[in-house]
Amino acid sequence: MEEKQLSEKESIELITSMINKAKNKVTESGALYLFWGWLILLCCIVQFTGLHFFNYTNSYYVWYSTWVLLIFQFFYIIKQKKSSSVKSYTGEINGFVWLVFFISMVLVIFISIHFKYYEIIYPLILVMYGMPTFLSGIILKFKPLIIGGASCWVFAILSSFVTSEYQSLFIAAAVIAAWIIPGYLLKKNYKKADNGI
Amino acid sequence: MEFKELDPILHSQLRLAVMSLLISVKEAEFTFLKEKTNATSGNLSVQISKLKEVGYIEIIKQFNNNYPQTICKITPEGIIAFENYVKALQSYMTL
Repeated sequence: MEEKQLSEKESIELITSMINKAKNKVTESGALYLFWGWLILLCCIVQFTGLHFFNYTNSYYVWYSTWVLLIFQFFYIIKQKKSSSVKSYTGEINGFVWLVFFISMVLVIFISIHFKYYEIIYPLILVMYGMPTFLSGIILKFKPLIIGGASCWVFAILSSFVTSEYQSLFIAAAVIAAWIIPGYLLKKNYKKADNGI
Repeated sequence: MEFKELDPILHSQLRLAVMSLLISVKEAEFTFLKEKTNATSGNLSVQISKLKEVGYIEIIKQFNNNYPQTICKITPEGIIAFENYVKALQSYMTL
């Protein structure tokens, strides 16, 4: 960019073009949506299969694998932050939305177990899933996440009418709609932007 | 109609481009600014130093994996100056 005397019109055009350039940087790769989506889906399938076909009541142990992903995520986010050349306000807000979700989720599960309301855990988890997914969709202006978030709430209502054994299938359906499909779409957009296509 | 004076610090192509980028993000690395403005490292360095001198931006120098990293951030004074510049421009444009 060379230095030259700007006219008022050129100044406005320059400001608009630079703001758009900063705005259009696609920073969401969809990786975390896919990691979590596939792991939760796997947990649901393992739990349902164990309970339904083998009458194995301890199949819920598979959910402990989420702690491994949580630790991996911690290091993944640190690495991402270090390699990123820009920090946006939307990225920061989005990060806090997911932090609030994580804290609320832990509290909801803890309180439900404490009062032995096991049958409402899954519907409540679905209500919780919908909140950050929907908000991320609004923040990133990404419709598949908005639809995915809203579908979690629909699945939350539906899951209230079945036994806990079948509720895990609604979680499976919700993560496909809310995280796996939008995750692949985000990945596609990210690759496109990265290659400058 | 009163003409508002255009801030000479901002009424320069590269400095205005840098400020427009920084007003849109929380903070950005030197490499990001260079890529978006297509400026040379030398010229960009001079211009961001001028913006820092007047207090419009903050420059943080640090190391990331043993590589030096320069991070730029707009200051509250910079935001006010940018807003005033845009208001002054609007007063010319509405004529």
